[in-house]
Amino acid sequence: MANRSENRGFENRGLWLLLGLLAALSLSMFLIPAFVIRPFRHQSENALALAIAVKRIAPALSVAAVVGVLALGLRLWRSSSKLSRAGIALALVLSTASAVMVRQNYFEWMFHPIAAAGFVSASDARLSDKEMVMAVRIGPEARAYPIVQMAYHHILNDTVAGVPIVVTY
Amino acid sequence: MWKRTARGRELHFYLAGINNQNFLMRDRETGSWWQQVTGRAIAGELAGSALELMPNDELTFALWKSESPHALVLAPVAGHEKDYDKEWEKEVAKYPVPMTFPGQGLKDRDVILGVEIGGQARAFSLAKVRGESPVEDQIAGVPVALVNGPDGESVRVFRSQWNGLDIELYRDAQSPEWRLLDSQGNAWNFAGCAISGPAVGQCLEKINFLKDYWFDWKNYNPRTTVYSH
Repeated sequence: MANRSENRGFENRGLWLLLGLLAALSLSMFLIPAFVIRPFRHQSENALALAIAVKRIAPALSVAAVVGVLALGLRLWRSSSKLSRAGIALALVLSTASAVMVRQNYFEWMFHPIAAAGFVSASDARLSDKEMVMAVRIGPEARAYPIVQMAYHHILNDTVAGVPIVVTY
Repeated sequence: MWKRTARGRELHFYLAGINNQNFLMRDRETGSWWQQVTGRAIAGELAGSALELMPNDELTFALWKSESPHALVLAPVAGHEKDYDKEWEKEVAKYPVPMTFPGQGLKDRDVILGVEIGGQARAFSLAKVRGESPVEDQIAGVPVALVNGPDGESVRVFRSQWNGLDIELYRDAQSPEWRLLDSQGNAWNFAGCAISGPAVGQCLEKINFLKDYWFDWKNYNPRTTVYSH
């Protein structure tokens, strides 16, 4: 009897460790890229490559981690004290939050994309003479993009004279 | 500004991150990662692909309108008028730089005009171009002229060659109308087209350039030289 419960204890310790690792894995799927791609920081080539590699696998891996945390949590729930159950709940909340966050593009929270671009004629545009614009001419068609707008939205997918272009600033 | 096609496929881009204060974008079609300033895919299915540059100008609205009176302007996006910060350049100037490149006579946030011809990159201080326009130089054997426009703000770069001959351009200080003269008896407007002289009706070839901060230009063009005449 003693032997069996000792085995159970070892087994549980293994499962707890796995639960912790899975929660940490899910969190790192969000935190590693978020930490590397901070606006004012220097990004080294290796760090950026790591951040992008993590971002590419994060959607699938973070969900797998949540499923793992959930399964282990259910398995361990009965034999757990109140404190341990709080730990299971915390691991589940954090890993779920991470799985949600890796699906968010928070850069677009800061700089909203242009969903549908509207245009006005040069004579109707309410711009001051000194305001800078990015200007493009393709064949007979010309178009201008005020820089103060592009410096906020950063990207516009447009089509001028049938040519698909991306305006970036 | 780029053509948004790669490997025969039309792409739609969105903002996805930042790399040394230069943004990263991804395309919806493949999820590949692109560096905005170089137009190159750095990761994902399209890694190694490059977008084709779409030649464009940075002009004052007044100058652009005088050249394209019937064209269209991007309208402000409803609800974002308050996000358009007219002082953004002053704000950005206060940001720390992610890397520094001393030793070539320019400060990290000096605005430069970067020209790359035949694999040779050269940076021209915008202040210098404004002060000494037209600035004439040769890059990889190609004669270029960097020209500050009649509005004192807009800049264009031309290949200073006409009819197979290198031409020297200079401001016509006598004329009330803004124009450049050359040694062949031509007068050129800011669009780079001859308004009188034997070349009348013809235009100089425009050269692409990037208006950029020195640190960013140097980061992507490590072997750049700096114009210092």
